[in-house]
Amino acid sequence: MLSDSEKKRYSRQIRLFGEDGQEKLKRTRVFIAGAGGLGSVISIYMAAAGFGKIRICDCDAVELSNLNRQILHANADVSRPKALSAYETLTGINPEIEVEAEVQTISEDNIDQLLLGSDLIMDAMDNFPVRYLLNRAALKRKIPLFHGAISGYQGQATTIIPGKTACLSCIFPRAPPAATFPALGSTCGIIGSIQVTEAVKYVTGTGKLLENRLLLWDGLNACLDEMACERNSVCRDCSE
Amino acid sequence: MLVKVLAFAGFREILGKERELSLNESVTVKELLAELAVATPRFKEAAFDESGALRDYVLLMINRKLIDSRQDLSRPLQEGDELAIFPPLAGG
Ligand SMILES: [Zn+2]
Repeated sequence: MLSDSEKKRYSRQIRLFGEDGQEKLKRTRVFIAGAGGLGSVISIYMAAAGFGKIRICDCDAVELSNLNRQILHANADVSRPKALSAYETLTGINPEIEVEAEVQTISEDNIDQLLLGSDLIMDAMDNFPVRYLLNRAALKRKIPLFHGAISGYQGQATTIIPGKTACLSCIFPRAPPAATFPALGSTCGIIGSIQVTEAVKYVTGTGKLLENRLLLWDGLNACLDEMACERNSVCRDCSE
Repeated sequence: MLVKVLAFAGFREILGKERELSLNESVTVKELLAELAVATPRFKEAAFDESGALRDYVLLMINRKLIDSRQDLSRPLQEGDELAIFPPLAGG
């Protein structure tokens, strides 16, 4: 049931998917892997939209060089743990949801515990080794993984539904090399927003998801393309 | 035959968004990529490793469908095919 203040807070999106849809968001527990550029946009829009329980995990502290894009964090947060700054920002935006902040490095050892009770995973990582870990965990738990990545003006996104779509390893069998990427806040805004839109559609059961479709955003040319992908029958992570 | 090459992300900055190439019949994906590398040294540097092999993480798509960038390199291209090349992004 939605309270009167919730009905008011969410009235403009209840027009989209009804109180029924809003209650579905309220019942959904999300895990956001990363409180950086993508994690900022994803967590702010998910908190504002009323996803009922948000667990956000990041091991780093805020640095001055993060603030061009990581809008969860303010100038006064420099050198504080990102997860704590995230907690304060998100509960400030929406005190009617539950937020949990985890200051941890996501690894093979803690991923089961971190994902305990989560209904979906938002990929806001900055490296492929941890993304593959999230992918395997999503497959094991049969929960969706909303993938996004950026570099400079460029972005990519896809929605992974275990048992139905290609998994992350089907699409990206080998990791691109680790590097310090150029990063622009507005590119994180576009890709993170696409990931949240996908999660909202998934939970409320509306629209057509980015299933087996890799979306490619090129901000420099203002072009959006999509590529079809399919499950790899010999995928190391999702083939039986 | 005419084949279109679509480049994405970092490759787009080097090769431009798209170009049409006039090729001999039965040119393979691998041969087309080699031809691009010869014509554009910066592309060679970005897409191939020191041994001359395509960097293993590069994604290839024919007619907007992902192909296996290891097994399908020997696939012959057809008139009108569109080969897309994309170095995946990893930042967040
Ligand atoms: Zn797979």
